[in-house]
Amino acid sequence: MDSKTTKKLIKIVLLVLVISYTLDKLIFFGLNTISDKVMTGQSIGKLNQFLSVKDSVDILVFGNSRANHHVDMNLFGKKSYNMGMDGTGIAYSSTLINTLSKDKEQLVIVHIDTKNFFSKNYNGKDINGLKTKFNRNVYITDVLNKSNQIPFFQNIYYSINYNGKIIGIIKNFIRPGYNFLEYNGYDPLLVRDDQKEIRDLILAQKNNVDCESINEINSIALSYLQSIKDFVENSNKEFIFVTSPTFNDPCEKDNKLLAKTLRELGLTYLDRSNLFANKNDNDLWKDKTHLSKKGAESFSINLKKELQKVIN
Amino acid sequence: MLFNSIEYLIFLPIVFIVYWLLKSNYKYQNILLLISSYVFYGWWDYRFLSLIIFSSFIDYFVGKKIEKANGKENKKRWLLVSLCSNLGLLAIFKYYNFFADSFASTMSTLGWEVNDLTLNIILPVGISFYTFQTLSYSIDIYREKIKSCKDIIAFFTFVSLFPQLVAGPIERASNLIPQIEKRRSLNSTLVKTGIFQIFIGLFRKVAIADNLGVYVDAAYANHEIHNGSTLLIATIFYAFQIYFDFSGYSDIAIGSAKLFGFKFNRNFNLPYFSKTLTEFWRKWHMSLSYWLRDYLYISLGGNRKGEILTYRNLLLTMLLGGLWHGSSWNFIIWGGIHGLFLSFEKFTFSKLKINTFNAFGFLYTFIVVLIAWVFFRAVDLNTAINILGKWISLEFGPIFIGDINAFVNGLLLAVTGILIDLKIFSSKTPLEDYGTKFSTIRLSVVVSVIILIICLFYSTAENFIYFQF
Repeated sequence: MDSKTTKKLIKIVLLVLVISYTLDKLIFFGLNTISDKVMTGQSIGKLNQFLSVKDSVDILVFGNSRANHHVDMNLFGKKSYNMGMDGTGIAYSSTLINTLSKDKEQLVIVHIDTKNFFSKNYNGKDINGLKTKFNRNVYITDVLNKSNQIPFFQNIYYSINYNGKIIGIIKNFIRPGYNFLEYNGYDPLLVRDDQKEIRDLILAQKNNVDCESINEINSIALSYLQSIKDFVENSNKEFIFVTSPTFNDPCEKDNKLLAKTLRELGLTYLDRSNLFANKNDNDLWKDKTHLSKKGAESFSINLKKELQKVIN
Repeated sequence: MLFNSIEYLIFLPIVFIVYWLLKSNYKYQNILLLISSYVFYGWWDYRFLSLIIFSSFIDYFVGKKIEKANGKENKKRWLLVSLCSNLGLLAIFKYYNFFADSFASTMSTLGWEVNDLTLNIILPVGISFYTFQTLSYSIDIYREKIKSCKDIIAFFTFVSLFPQLVAGPIERASNLIPQIEKRRSLNSTLVKTGIFQIFIGLFRKVAIADNLGVYVDAAYANHEIHNGSTLLIATIFYAFQIYFDFSGYSDIAIGSAKLFGFKFNRNFNLPYFSKTLTEFWRKWHMSLSYWLRDYLYISLGGNRKGEILTYRNLLLTMLLGGLWHGSSWNFIIWGGIHGLFLSFEKFTFSKLKINTFNAFGFLYTFIVVLIAWVFFRAVDLNTAINILGKWISLEFGPIFIGDINAFVNGLLLAVTGILIDLKIFSSKTPLEDYGTKFSTIRLSVVVSVIILIICLFYSTAENFIYFQF
């Protein structure tokens, strides 16, 4: 390699670093401006709406897609919000709970599933769902840094914050999917007639779950649970942990172990995994994981009654 | 070590800098390349380095023996040593369980129960690639096309050179060894084309292929519940996923090699722009297809022994080409479909006295390739039959979208990739040389834009698809 080539190579490397860094910041700040105005969609709109209403509502629901599709907020009054989000787990919920104002009196329903707590593979990666707020929200940035889930390059190229979400953000910026002022975070799952056949096929498939291997609670999941418990002790809020119905739940062991763990932590837990166990009605379900609108409404009525008992 | 990993991002510049600091002596550079290549491979599993070293030793000594042997018979005996050693390793590590399982199934069908003969064998990454590479060396010496390599370090470097070690391109000794045995240089053309190709390859792999893979995996994992339309979309996505995945890998390999002063042969040349399957195979995984032509098809007699034997040779070559990809009936059927249609084309062209089809040939080729991909992607024969059954019985309906973000991202990026291919196709400049079209500043801007597209759209996949072969 002669000196001319070396110089050219160094020039290309330096130019790439400077141009890509500059472009990255332009895109990042441009997307920040756009995304801050987006209040609809799961890419960022729902999170933005949550951050804007979290300290003004009386009832909040946290959890994964099952929380999102199962807890009908229409039954809990106008001052309530369902922050259930697809693909998230206890790490995501715990981080958002810790952004709440400690003084505000609220009822917080945390939807949990045994799956995360007893999976050896759970690593808290769901916290990445908050990466759009990395380097923008102090608390979320701090938790993300501590979680070791942030790729090294995200500290250089901030646009990684918007990885995989840009189309959704732009779409919702140009054309919001719904009127967010009337949205309470609950997304019922409707099953069309032409989907019922596929749904029934899915429900008929066998579960391959090794119940015997369920022994120990995942330490990462437990640490996030502990973080919620610490928050509970220092806030004016009522916390209820809930598990919504599960289709043909094959194992009892994990439910019992999870209930025991929550009891030991002094947290209130309502396990409704088997609420529909004896109802041989496929119309309650969208698939094996999610309830249909009909199932969600039925579960939410039951949940509301149970909550009244617990709170009173 | 994966090309799309942080480890490679650190490894490549370190090796690059030390390599060019040693430019005064190419033999020192070769030692560095050999050590680096073993580190690159050992990063995955150092135990299997022994196989590469064993294979290298065998072919290094057999190559010398073939050259020195008197008479065709003696040469053939030494060639057999190479064939048996290399194919023996491949047979044990790649095909033993398949044949043991197939044997047990056949016996069971005949009423004899046989104990489970399968073994817990890990498939060493890249074994199919470096086996074919070393075999071509011995066969070329036997055919007196090349001389044996006198420098053991140069030969071992040829077998294990890290950019092409685990998934090709399958480089011929006649192309690579002469480059290893002389001083290399790096000029601005190689720098530009190399950098451009590495980043285009990364874009193809982590942005396009991995995003398409999300939908493909979801649809194929639940093929029983999806209708023909969904599975058709998934298979079309897969056709582009595997193309962008493997051609992306080849781009990174060829681009990386350029930075060390090596010129590898092209491995892809816009294969979906083909009017015939024959043309497709001149453009798809070219290093393998030309290997199969030169060392298998021609060895079987090629087209020199009459019409019927030509078809037999084509079919056999493609069946074995299928088996090379993996030890399952699906790959054999995949190869069989290609073999049958290649024979059909040969027959049609000879009868109609034509060389290619008209514009409809693009559609015909894509449909045949698509049907064959079903067998390639499906986890087993039943899955492939189920999917094709849904198409044949016209079980079409509303398309399952799943994760809308992943679906739209995959679609958008695939269209972008196809448009880039069209641009290259119309420019008449091959991708390998496309970097020369840019000034230094334009190249830097293009690479920067690619980096940002990757930041915004990258998806994560476990591996490159061709690592499993």
